[in-house]
Amino acid sequence: MDVFLPIAEVSVNIIAILSLSGVVGVLSGLFGVGGGFLMTPFLIFLGVPPTYAVANEANNILATSVSGSTTHYLKNTLDYKMGFMIVIGGSIGTLLGIWTFSYFKGTGKIDIVISLAYMYILAIIGTAMLIEGLGEIDKARKKIITKKKLHVHYWIHGLPLRMRFQKSKLYESAFTPIIIGLIVGFIAAIMGIGGAFILVPAMIYIIGMPTRLIPGTSLFVTIFVSVIVTFLHAFNYGSIDLILVVMLVIGSIIGVQVGQKLGESIDSAGIKTLLAVLLLAVGIAIAYDTFFAEHVTNEVVKIDVNNLNPLSMFIKKLSLEMPILYGLFSIVFAVVLGVGAAFIRLFFSNLRKKHSLKKV
Amino acid sequence: MPDIFKNLPTEIKKNKIKAGIFIGLSAYWGIILVGTFVSFS
Repeated sequence: MDVFLPIAEVSVNIIAILSLSGVVGVLSGLFGVGGGFLMTPFLIFLGVPPTYAVANEANNILATSVSGSTTHYLKNTLDYKMGFMIVIGGSIGTLLGIWTFSYFKGTGKIDIVISLAYMYILAIIGTAMLIEGLGEIDKARKKIITKKKLHVHYWIHGLPLRMRFQKSKLYESAFTPIIIGLIVGFIAAIMGIGGAFILVPAMIYIIGMPTRLIPGTSLFVTIFVSVIVTFLHAFNYGSIDLILVVMLVIGSIIGVQVGQKLGESIDSAGIKTLLAVLLLAVGIAIAYDTFFAEHVTNEVVKIDVNNLNPLSMFIKKLSLEMPILYGLFSIVFAVVLGVGAAFIRLFFSNLRKKHSLKKV
Repeated sequence: MPDIFKNLPTEIKKNKIKAGIFIGLSAYWGIILVGTFVSFS
């Protein structure tokens, strides 16, 4: 069952997109990461051009991060002050990332840059996770218990402008979260990812935040970064395709809920090793696709706006004639879907609690 | 010759999985580094 994407100008299989975004959503729920670093390569494999895959995945991440952070806001597990500091750096990093994106787009090398960025990120994280995961399994088999240091000091902690973060109970330089945000924003803009898989370890090991505040704060930061990425992609390149975004959001929101439930009953070292193997496998597939596979040059299909169905025609015209309004609409649309999903989850969670209380 | 090189063949035989993972990762890193160099030169 193929659906034509009016902006990306390609046809994609709706079942494939829904099931892949669902599977990535399950992995996101299991590992607590956004899943953009898996979904963007999957979209590229399904035939969506890299430029469109990056932009639309950023819009999808916006919806899922709004959904997740609304849940954390309701639970009061969010450090706004720390979040805003990371957002300051994230905004600068995102603008620098979009500028770099434009530079490589101008030179005609953007597709190879996106593919290489994925290969390196997947290789670095996959290698690190595989070594750590196998080490943990090995230690568990040999029953070796090692004590970890509570807080390691790096050069970044010696920076000036120290301030107090009451909620996280930290006294730290404002530059620490700003520098981390800058790196995350830069990578997010080029790769169409939320950056949680870089932000979460940085929050634990470098900033030293309490674990309970990390997922909420990370998602809070991701909202701002993905809003900037989505808007700039929509405005500069008109590459947001609302039909693709709807399919991605539906699949990933359902998948995340299933993943969170599954995560409660699975061994963490085993999952870590499995995810590492998956990341490396995706990296190898991208490397094969980039360096060895014969590239079929797709004929440029000239689309007559009048031949599209009314919805596709409306999306195409809105994107061409009013890019600012279209960019704002795609952001509001993702925010509404995200908040809606969080409240639906809250409703069902309350319903289940009432049901279990009645049983008791 | 350091002991680590002398004992390498027996160590590889003992830890076949670890050696396989190490070779696989080295090959992967080699491909992407050479590929990057080729793409930009």
